[in-house]
Amino acid sequence: MDFDLSEEQHALQEMARDFLAERWPTERSRQLLDARPALIDDDVWREIVEMGWLGVAASEEAGGIGGDVTTAAVLCQEAGRGVLPGPFESSLVAAIALDRSRDEALCKNLLPELIAGSRRVSVGIEEPGGLYGPDAVSAEAREEAGVWRVSGHKILVPEANEADRLLVAARTSQGPALWCVPAAAEGVTINRMDRMDAQSCGEVILEGAAAEGGVLAGAERGEALLREVYDIWTVLLAADLLGSAEASLELTRLYACERVQFGKPIGTFQAVSHRLADTLVEVEIGRSLLFAACLALDEGRDNAAPLVSAAKAWLGDTAVAAAETAMQIHGGVGFTWEYDVHLHLRRARCNAAMQGDADHHRDRIADYMGESWVAPVKA
Amino acid sequence: MDLEFSKADEDYRQRLRAWLRDNLGEGGSANAVMRQAEKDPGAAKDPLAGARAWARRLHEAGYVGLAWPKEYGGQDASFTEQVICAEEMARVRTPPLINTIGLTIIGPTLVQHGSEEQKRRFLPRILSADDLWCQGFSEPEAGSDLASLRCRAELDGDEFVVNGQKVWTSLAFLSNWMFLLVRTDPDAPKREGISYLLLDMKTPGINVRPLRNAAGGQHFSEVFLDDVRVPRDNLVGELNRGWSIARSSLDHERSGLSGVIALEETLGRLWRMAGGLKRGTDQALADAGARRALAQHWIEIEGLRHLGYRTLSDQIAGKPPGPGASVGKLFASEVRQEMTRTALQLEGPLGPVAKRSPHVVERGRWHAAYFDALAHSIGGGTSEIMRNVIAEKVLGLPRLQDD
Ligand SMILES: Cc1cc2nc3c(=O)[nH]c(=O)nc-3n(C[C@H](O)[C@H](O)[C@H](O)COP(=O)(O)OP(=O)(O)OC[C@H]3O[C@@H](n4cnc5c(N)ncnc54)[C@H](O)[C@@H]3O)c2cc1C
Repeated sequence: MDFDLSEEQHALQEMARDFLAERWPTERSRQLLDARPALIDDDVWREIVEMGWLGVAASEEAGGIGGDVTTAAVLCQEAGRGVLPGPFESSLVAAIALDRSRDEALCKNLLPELIAGSRRVSVGIEEPGGLYGPDAVSAEAREEAGVWRVSGHKILVPEANEADRLLVAARTSQGPALWCVPAAAEGVTINRMDRMDAQSCGEVILEGAAAEGGVLAGAERGEALLREVYDIWTVLLAADLLGSAEASLELTRLYACERVQFGKPIGTFQAVSHRLADTLVEVEIGRSLLFAACLALDEGRDNAAPLVSAAKAWLGDTAVAAAETAMQIHGGVGFTWEYDVHLHLRRARCNAAMQGDADHHRDRIADYMGESWVAPVKA
Repeated sequence: MDLEFSKADEDYRQRLRAWLRDNLGEGGSANAVMRQAEKDPGAAKDPLAGARAWARRLHEAGYVGLAWPKEYGGQDASFTEQVICAEEMARVRTPPLINTIGLTIIGPTLVQHGSEEQKRRFLPRILSADDLWCQGFSEPEAGSDLASLRCRAELDGDEFVVNGQKVWTSLAFLSNWMFLLVRTDPDAPKREGISYLLLDMKTPGINVRPLRNAAGGQHFSEVFLDDVRVPRDNLVGELNRGWSIARSSLDHERSGLSGVIALEETLGRLWRMAGGLKRGTDQALADAGARRALAQHWIEIEGLRHLGYRTLSDQIAGKPPGPGASVGKLFASEVRQEMTRTALQLEGPLGPVAKRSPHVVERGRWHAAYFDALAHSIGGGTSEIMRNVIAEKVLGLPRLQDD
């Protein structure tokens, strides 16, 4: 029984936090809000690549570090705290997807290039239509003369315009799975689709685009891989949301100690301090859920999926509420462009709605409860 | 990171499960043990004979007083064994123990602060449920602001003479001992003139008046103390140093994992109830809002469970207690209340039907649970006080003005 990060994970976390505070001050995120397209500085990106972050959860043969989901989550938590823009998290997810596909060609060529930063790979799963996840995938893949062709419409694909390859979810009669499509392939159209937190993403329209290789992980395991990748991406976003909520809470805590009104620091007023106490409770519950979910994924437990949903639903709500609390308690300055409050609010709002919003995940948990407890007559 | 219990711990769990199976009987309750004891000759004199017998049975098997030293009848058990024991008992819903206040508050306090003689005299009798204890802290004018308590105790030779009033004293009318806080130096600053006493409830001058609570039941009492004489030997710790001892006894709460299992059981019950209730031609469980509310409780319970594991893991590693205890208390009472609200909402138009009515849903259990849950954010430190503690101790916000 040791429900704490390892010493190495703690060290990695501290290192990441210091690096981002120094090399990616929040001022840079603020500037990106006015940039089109909003992209991270090349030199900062190069340093991130050199530190090996993209391969933190990929196997050593592929040039990764061989870490687990928990280790990846620790980095995403810091990315959230430091308001780091893409394509860090999507690259991490792409590396995990390629690594776990055990696809020989892709693992030998593309994955090491991705980890070394010489190629960018993004992931596209969601589609227009207002639903989330593998079950909502309607894009289709068909095999014609030994070539897999994908048709469909993907949205919110992180930095799709900058990607060399796209891992896209599509469906055959056997269910949904992932295919690797070169971004430059014929039949691929990419349009910009920016987020309100200055993260670039794209709309990808596929019209019989030829995939490189076959179904990721093969026909047998393809659907399982897609679901696993979706869950991992979801939990990494939950980690980002935890970092974001912590940042909002810490900003507000400091402000409540400093700002004096009526002759006292505003933190002595219970309308302020109790709201922060409630935020702390939510953050601590969220932290407990997040690492429970990471551990369940790393150990392959059968309650991993509902725990992932629990972490995402809870932390989405928590990070948004923490940022809104920050804005209220900062008063007028909290509503200024120069203060960081809106940076966290924007990121939390966006990420809360990505990879399944809270209701999507609560529905998933309800289904799990129905399966594992009692099977009431389906209405 | 791992959430595994060791082989030895798992063996302990299996032994405990087997014991519970053998001792709870097919009916899933200890009623048999209790009924048997009530039939014993002599039971007529003790209306609590049944409840005592169950407590004693657990003690003989070594499943109470786990954290206490062996020399006073305890088990010297590890943190994990304590957690496993609490979890397993909650899982099979063992009947509540009549000596809980002794086991969880005064016992641990005496282990830590009591004199050798006090430990030998009182601890074994707490374990065997021969003594039942109540907590005399709150007074009419001293609730959240406990340190402003007024109940006076003056030394007269080898005895204290106690005068004053206690209130909300749970189970006072059943208890034969009370631990209480009294003011022994009215001139000192309020936290420095308080002492911690042990009082035999048979001493002349005590008047216990049971109060009926909002749920309709009898649980707490007012206790009037009029020239009650307490031997000096019954002082815990030093004179005028009772406040810090009382504070430590408020910290004796367990990691809260047993509460999690109880909440999990409650959620299962809610889910089944929703499956049986109607909404037009559908079952209540088909409603998206109801499903999401229940899923949210699942999330909350998992959060609480894993918070408990963090606390346990810190204890095992010998780290200072993190925010777990105050966060857990505050959050658990909120979750409990939310769950009973969900229950009443699920019951819909039948929710208001009283217990004695033939139309009542689930024998009115959710009304009782609802009232019970509401008391949880008052007793043992209100939720507002918990937020004050978190704001000051965990977040380090400036302290409120307080004399
Ligand atoms: C079921 C039950 C069992 C109990 N059993 C026992 C027992 O066995 N022994 C015992 O000694 N006591 C017992 N109590 C008493 C309990 O500890 C007190 O009720 C509690 O500490 C609150 O004190 P009070 O009732 O005087 O309320 P008050 O302290 O008067 O509080 C009234 C309201 O004001 C709020 N408030 C007070 N101070 C502050 C502050 N500084 N900041 C913000 N809000 C504040 C409170 O949160 C509350 O909402 C029991 C209570 C209940 C409900």
